[in-house]
Amino acid sequence: MRTGYTFMRAFFLLFVIVGVLCIACAEEAVDSNGSPYTFRKPANFPEAAYTFENNPVTQKGFELGRALFYDPILSADSTIACANCHQQAAAFADPVHTLSRGVMDRSGTRNAPAIQNMAFQRLFFWDGGVKHLDFVPINAITSDVEMAEKIAHVVEKLQRNPSYVTKFNEAYQEPPSSQKMLYALSQFMNLMVSANSRYDHYVRKEGESLTTAELNGLQLFTSKCSSCHATDLFTDGSFRNNGLDATFEKDNGRERITELAEDKGKFKVPSLRNVELTDPYMHDGRFKTLEQVLDHYATGVVNSETLDLILKRDEGFGIPLTIEEKANIILFLKTLTDREFILDKRFSFPANSFTK
Amino acid sequence: MKLTRSILLFSFLIISVVSCKKDEVVSAAPGTLTLHFDNIVGDANLQLNTTNTPYTNAKGEDFKVTWLTYYISNIKVKSADGKVFSDPVKSDGSKGYYLIDESDAESQDVILKDLPAGDYTEVTFTVGGDASQVDQGAQVGALDPAKGLFWSWNSGYIFFAIEGVSPVSTEANNTFQFHVGGYKEVSGSATAANNIKTITLSFDGSKAVVNSAHEPEVHLLLDVKKFFNGDGVANVSFATNAARHSPASCKDVAGNIPAAFTFDHIHAN
Repeated sequence: MRTGYTFMRAFFLLFVIVGVLCIACAEEAVDSNGSPYTFRKPANFPEAAYTFENNPVTQKGFELGRALFYDPILSADSTIACANCHQQAAAFADPVHTLSRGVMDRSGTRNAPAIQNMAFQRLFFWDGGVKHLDFVPINAITSDVEMAEKIAHVVEKLQRNPSYVTKFNEAYQEPPSSQKMLYALSQFMNLMVSANSRYDHYVRKEGESLTTAELNGLQLFTSKCSSCHATDLFTDGSFRNNGLDATFEKDNGRERITELAEDKGKFKVPSLRNVELTDPYMHDGRFKTLEQVLDHYATGVVNSETLDLILKRDEGFGIPLTIEEKANIILFLKTLTDREFILDKRFSFPANSFTK
Repeated sequence: MKLTRSILLFSFLIISVVSCKKDEVVSAAPGTLTLHFDNIVGDANLQLNTTNTPYTNAKGEDFKVTWLTYYISNIKVKSADGKVFSDPVKSDGSKGYYLIDESDAESQDVILKDLPAGDYTEVTFTVGGDASQVDQGAQVGALDPAKGLFWSWNSGYIFFAIEGVSPVSTEANNTFQFHVGGYKEVSGSATAANNIKTITLSFDGSKAVVNSAHEPEVHLLLDVKKFFNGDGVANVSFATNAARHSPASCKDVAGNIPAAFTFDHIHAN
């Protein structure tokens, strides 16, 4: 009896220990796999383009990037933060200004695009002049009409700021530097993955269904729009002239970068994710509504030497669309709105970072 | 007898060890060679921010210089017996890229360390740097964007920048700016420019003797006048097109860069 009791006790103890170990293991597994600070490629996305091997995402690095994104310290007169023109409620596009506004109310020349799924892009900005995500913030920081600041001076300001010295030390074990500042901003942007719209849940068969009109819109979209707005990123990453103008003195687009005449008036094909929220549309923000955009493709396309071949038909220019077709396409486009993304607390203003 | 033989053998051994070691110390240990970049204008040493415009280009236009800086990378030195030492280059910019800045005397000395001992007679270097590193993201060292030569709007680096003032310039405040960069070669495009220049300079029969006893300093010259004058084909006038900020617009002056660098002399030190 006594022996049996001891045996039982030992067995029970062993059971408890194994159990605890299992739970501990399981918890650890959830923690590393399920960490909200790990970059994950959504199942329906192509491979990421970012060089994560040089700059893997960590919680400290991400939080540093988040603080920088919302801090006007990056601008010459401490008035403009990244978040001024890239607001979460608008999928980090600018819902107010047709052309971006910088320090001292200076006006830019193009519309601020959304920031989402940056890890999957190879070329940035409307003309694709920037070839790596790390360099994207430099454009805004050093542009005279945006933040009008010098990188060296931003680094100096960060080095003088005890809160940032601590944050850089925690994230990188070194004082503020331009590389680590850009790395941190990239970490923040790399986690800005928008892939949880109703369309995503539908296409990944996660229990979502689309209405008949939305499905009809998807079908029309696939046949009429998806040669440019391709893959589940809804862009093929190319540069095209979509017939907005006949001449391009104001902005020659991609030609400025490649110095090739054949690239005159070509601009990056934007992703259509969260397109419901990212108005105004086009590189110069000329259209306020999706209806105006589809009207442009249906009847407004203007011919020029570099007009995209897809928009040239025997009987004219553009994409033929009936009123009903346009309406259904817009209904489909609205299924690309990702409420989870625009409400994601990880990307919101980090109030704690700024309390003294 | 036996003892003597042992002593002899022992002494012989000691002597060989010592002499061997001594031999190593004198010639085989790696040494240091400095490349000193001296910026001049014709016969004169370059002075930045002079009050007047003391220099004259081939077109007879007066000018002064307010800023001169350029990247040197991928340095190789060749010895008399044909051995080549390549200065290690790290694509993140932490090694092998040097930013020569006229306003910073220290930057004008490129110190090559751990060079095998030898008699060096030739140097090869690139003005600028290749593009591959841009694809790897934010960089450090000489390539740190904080250095101010990162081309933000068209990812890459300005390889060679010179700014100044000439009374004939029609730009604001009579300034001129030549920002030479660009590494794209697009077949069939006359405008896309690859402005990377690789230059080989022989030491004109002199030798830079590197060993533990000598750390020679090789003086190289960059002549601003030659940068503007070229071989007469790309003579720059400040009266037109004096603000050049794109690869294609700098193609002609980039062509002047190789002839603007010359070997001058060596300090044996």
